[in-house]
Parts: sequence; C-alpha cells; structure tokens
Amino acid sequence: MPIVELQEVRKAYDTKIAVEDLSFKIESGTMFGLLGPNGSGKTSSIRMMIGITVPDSGSVTLFGQPFDRKNLIRVGYLPEERGLYKKMNVLDQLVFLGQLHGLDAATAKKRSLVWCERMEITEAIPKRTEELSKGMQQKIQFIASLLHEPDLIIMDEPFSGLDPVNATLLQDTLVDLRKEGKAVLFSTHRMDQVEKLCDEIALIASGQLLLSGSMREVKSTYPRNRVQIAFEGSDAFLKHPAIAEAKNYNGLAEIKLAPSSDLAAAANTILAEALSMARISRFEVVEPTLEEIFIERVTTANLASRNGGNHAA
Amino acid sequence: MLHNTWLIAKREYFERIRARSFIVMTVLIPTLMGGLLWGVGLASGKGKTSVSIAIVTPADGKVDPHFGFDLQDELAKHKHPKIEANVISPPSADTRQELQAEMNHKGLDGYLWVTPPAPGHATPGFEWKPKSKNYLNTQNELGESIRTVLTKEGLARSGLGAADVTTLMQPIDLDSSDAGKKDAADAAQASAYGLFFIMYFVIVFYGMNVARSIIEEKTSRIFEVLLATIKPEEMMAGKVLGVGAVGLTQVAIWLAAAAALSAPGLISLGSDMSFDLPVSNMIFFVSFFLLGYILYSGLAAALGAMASSEQELQQMNIFLMLPLIACSGVVFQVISDPDGMLAKVFSFIPFCTPLIMYVRIAVHQPPWWEIAVSLAGLVVTILAILWFAARVYRVGILMYGKKPNLPELLRWLKYS
Repeated sequence: MPIVELQEVRKAYDTKIAVEDLSFKIESGTMFGLLGPNGSGKTSSIRMMIGITVPDSGSVTLFGQPFDRKNLIRVGYLPEERGLYKKMNVLDQLVFLGQLHGLDAATAKKRSLVWCERMEITEAIPKRTEELSKGMQQKIQFIASLLHEPDLIIMDEPFSGLDPVNATLLQDTLVDLRKEGKAVLFSTHRMDQVEKLCDEIALIASGQLLLSGSMREVKSTYPRNRVQIAFEGSDAFLKHPAIAEAKNYNGLAEIKLAPSSDLAAAANTILAEALSMARISRFEVVEPTLEEIFIERVTTANLASRNGGNHAA
Repeated sequence: MLHNTWLIAKREYFERIRARSFIVMTVLIPTLMGGLLWGVGLASGKGKTSVSIAIVTPADGKVDPHFGFDLQDELAKHKHPKIEANVISPPSADTRQELQAEMNHKGLDGYLWVTPPAPGHATPGFEWKPKSKNYLNTQNELGESIRTVLTKEGLARSGLGAADVTTLMQPIDLDSSDAGKKDAADAAQASAYGLFFIMYFVIVFYGMNVARSIIEEKTSRIFEVLLATIKPEEMMAGKVLGVGAVGLTQVAIWLAAAAALSAPGLISLGSDMSFDLPVSNMIFFVSFFLLGYILYSGLAAALGAMASSEQELQQMNIFLMLPLIACSGVVFQVISDPDGMLAKVFSFIPFCTPLIMYVRIAVHQPPWWEIAVSLAGLVVTILAILWFAARVYRVGILMYGKKPNLPELLRWLKYS
C-alpha cells in the first residue's frame, strides 16, 4: 500500500497552471526526492497532499484512503518557508505544535525534550525563539514536524541554510526514520543530497512530470558518457574530436563524450592522447550525475515548450 | 474540530496576557484616567473642606451695620465647604494690603469687600477676591448666603417681625425623590459614556490586534505549518476568540478597578463621579460588547488576510474605523436624546448597533422591539461578515506580496 499517491492531479490558479496531469506514489520505508526548478510546482503538489489546497481534478490518496483531514495527524511537514512564533518560548512552542498534531501536553513535552537532546539544542529549550540562530530555529521546526511520529514526513528543502555538521545530523536522522519504515518525501534542488539519500525520484518542471522511478532506473537510462581526468601538463588533448564538451577546472577535466556506438573505445583513445602529453593521476568513466540529467531534461523541456507553443502555460 | 480552535485560542490568550504590553496597558490606562479625575477634582477645589475668609464692611450707615455679622452666621450654616468668616468693620487705610499679605502668607483663602450701594441701586456692591480661581464652591455658597441675608434684612425693614422672617426663610423641604431620579439619570449618562469609550477602545484595539497577529503569522509563515493540520476557519475562530478573551480580561480588570476606586471610603471621587451600574445594564454591555467585537474582529481578520504588511493594513484600516468614528461623532447627541431620530437611525445600522444601541439602553430603555430588531440585524451581519472573512482568509493567507483588487477578491469568494 503506497503511503501517498497522486493520480492525474491538476491544479490551476488564476493566471497559470501549477500542476498538470501529475501522478506518482511513495511507498513506506523509502526516501523520495521531488525535484524541480523554482516555480515548477513542487510546493503546489505538496500543498495538495496535505490539504492546504484541493486539486481541481485527479485524486490524492493518503495511507490507502481517499484524502481525509483526520489522517493529517499522521503527516509531518517542514515547509520551505520556515515559520515559528518568534516571541514564544521554545518548549511552549514545541508542545503547542505537538498538541495540534493530536498529542497531549505531557507526551508532547516529554518527546520535545528527547528530541532537543538528539538534535543537540538542549540549551535552547528555555529561550525565546527569536533569540536563537537561524540554524537552531530550523532544528526546532524540524523537531516540531516529527514530534507526533508521523508515518509520512514531508520536508521542503530541509538542509538549506544549515552548516555541514548540522546538515549531516538532520540527514542521518532522516535515514534512521526511513529505516524505521517511514516514508520520507523531500523536495530540493540540491542534487548531490538527492543522489546520496533518495531511493526514488520524480522530476517535475512547469507542473509536469519529466521523469520518475528509482534512482537506479533513472540513471541506467543514461549512457556512461562522462569522463573525469586529473592531470598535470598540457590540456591540448581536450580538443580531441571524440569530445563533445570539456571543462578544465585547474587540472581536473570533466568531459562529455560525443555520441558514439562505442563509448568505451572513445574513452580509451582520449586516455591515450592525454598520456602522450600530460601526467595522469586519475582517469574515470562515470555515468552522468543527477544534476546533469536534471539540467539536460529541464533545458530540453523548456525548449520544447517554447518551440511547441501548444504547451499548457 | 473544536479542539484545534481551543488550542489556537489558548495559545493566543496566554501569550498575550503574559506580554509586557498587556500589563502596561492594563495598569497605565486606569492610572491615567484616575490621575486625570483626581487632577480635575483637585483643580476645582473639591479637596478643600474648610475655608477661611474675611468680610470687610464700611461703617457709613449706607450698609446695614449688622450685615457683616448676619452673613457670618449664615455662612457658618454651610458645610461644603465649611466657611469661617471674620468681620472687619470699618476698614482702615491699609486693610487691603494686610488682607493681601495674609492671603499670600497665612491661611486666608479670600476676602469679600462690601461697598455702599451705587447710586440708583438698592443693594451694596460686593467684591470677591479669592486666593485663586479654584474656589468655585466657596463662591457659590457666598453668593447664596449674601442673597439670603439681604432678603432677611429687606423683609425686616418692611416691618416683618424677626420670628416671621426666620419662619419665612426656613429651608423648604422639597420632595427629593424626583431630584434623586435626576441624579441617577446623570450617573447613567456618565457611565454610559464611559462604557461607550471602553467598548470603542477595546473593539478598535483588539480588532486591530487580530489583524496584526494574522499579518505576523503571514510574514513569519508559521501558518503554513498550522494549515497542515487545521482548517483556516478553525485558525481564524481561535484567533478571534483568544484575542477577544484578552480584551474581556482587560475590561474586567478595569471595571473592577473602577468599582473599587469609586467605592466609598477608598478614594472618593465625589457623588457625581460614582460608578453606578445596574445588573441588566451590565448584561447588555457584555452582550453588545461581544457582538461588536466579533463583528469588527471578523472584518479585521479579512483585512489582515488581504494585506501583506503592517503598512498595507494601515491603509485598509479606514474600513474598520469609519463606522466607529461615525458612532463617536453622534454619541453626545444620542446620550442627550436617546429616542431621537438620529439615535434610532444609528442604532439600526449594524456596524453602529453595538455601540449606539447600548448607549440608548443605558441612558433610557428603548422599546423592546427596537432592541430585538437591531440585535437581529447585527447577528445577520455578523454571520455574513464571518462567512466573508473565512473565505478571504482561506485564500488570502496563502497569497503574498500583492494586494487583491476587487475582481480578484470576488473570485476568492468562489474558491472552496
């Protein structure tokens, strides 16, 4: 049973179509990455999952049932735009938000304290929220979305604005929650994190699904046409005709091979050429990164919509 | 789900009650009002209970030689304030300077200088020189006593016996029940006026607070978390109730303080400043207050949802303030003529009903059907406003940056 399932969902506002014919589902125990450029409809989709807005057509299924507000207390939501009551005491705030999700005050308080310890912010507990650093506030809000032990966790850009230490802390927490069988949806445009964390992805642009599936599937549909070379010496080998595109980052070349029936052979000829004029410390043939796939798909989609003209926009 | 509304209201209430601004307002306003009343009381010489004056009469036969002493006796009968008079007759050349000096340095509060009647006048001239202009009560007493003494003397001169004169001049025992009613009416007017302004102030202040707190949540984006579990309607209801409860708490504290202050024995502000509220009046006050508050805070919630910043809200304030300003413009007229055309018309305009109808009831009970009709109109308007506000709120809080124009607003109402 999928935890959440969208079927042919459509939502239009006054001036534009936010989401069109969008379908995907998230199973329990998976980490799902919802990707897309700014304004692509990520937040609109999330809002429909949690009933802030209602789709014009199509259906949203939560926990195997048609959408019902009473199931919302099984959902934890961290919105992209963080918001807390500034003047409120941290513990009061957590208890209040916990109560809104159906906890009683005592349980909410107990869990808040446990979570604050886990998130290493015990010193913030007696303070007013506005006295805290931005990162700390973000952790408070992170805690608030998890207090009621939701089965579906929705995180909109959870790591933005956090330093690497804290980002890792949150990341590890999410990984633990997935192990416990929770479904985690997170929406982001930080592709490196998605690549590392997510089992499944869906890429949307201009409100439409461009691709979706497991990370393996998505990547395997793309040819291994990327080569990375770390070198010292002349970079003249980058002019080789088998190379479609090359960038030289001060001794680290990132190469995209020209389309060919035998990419491995092409890579070998480039390596031979490079060895003749430079010292090579690393040579690797890799699959395209998610970021490259993302950029490629979004750019193609944009071109198509511009040229096609009949796109819904 | 009542539970969510209750949680929102509870949070709103306790956060506000604990805020420094609430405590400051609650203490400061009555202190200022009390101070003002006390100051007024002091300035009008109310505080002084005994006054000492001098009466200077000439000894030239044109003024009755007994006049000074008769006036002295007459003044001694008065209690508010107690007037102690010394008679100086005849004055010497420097009496005036001496009296002036006594007034400046000793306890003399003023002197009355009697001069012989001017040609063509039957009565002597009187010159009253008080220490300051504040001896209004003394001046009244003095005038009255002079008239009494002159009348007695005139009657005696026309041949009446002293006993007859005394009988004639005895104080008349007026049936005072009517006069009592007049006092009560005055007190009712005063308290109606006072409560009108409390209601006015609290509706404006706490109505604006509802709008401001919605904007605050909008800018801090907290509502996006809240909306993930609760409905906009519940959020709005909780807010209106919570903020309203704070307003009620504040009014209750003020009224209790006013009652304590005006209680005899504590700080007496004088009989005309007493706080006289019948229970029925109190019930009407609370009912109209609540209805008025819900009406205006519903309106404020809609405004708050439409505006995206405090500045924008300020511009929209006029919709909220206009009917209230109109009410305070006519309230004097309504108090003095509670059954007049103006009072009737205004008490049937739903946006003015809470204030104006309450004032009418407090001053002079209007017919029951008028109260019923105005209440019905008010309740229907409140329901309409809440419906409107909930619609606007639901869409408005998710919109940022841009103020909606009228067509957009109408479209908002159609969203479900």
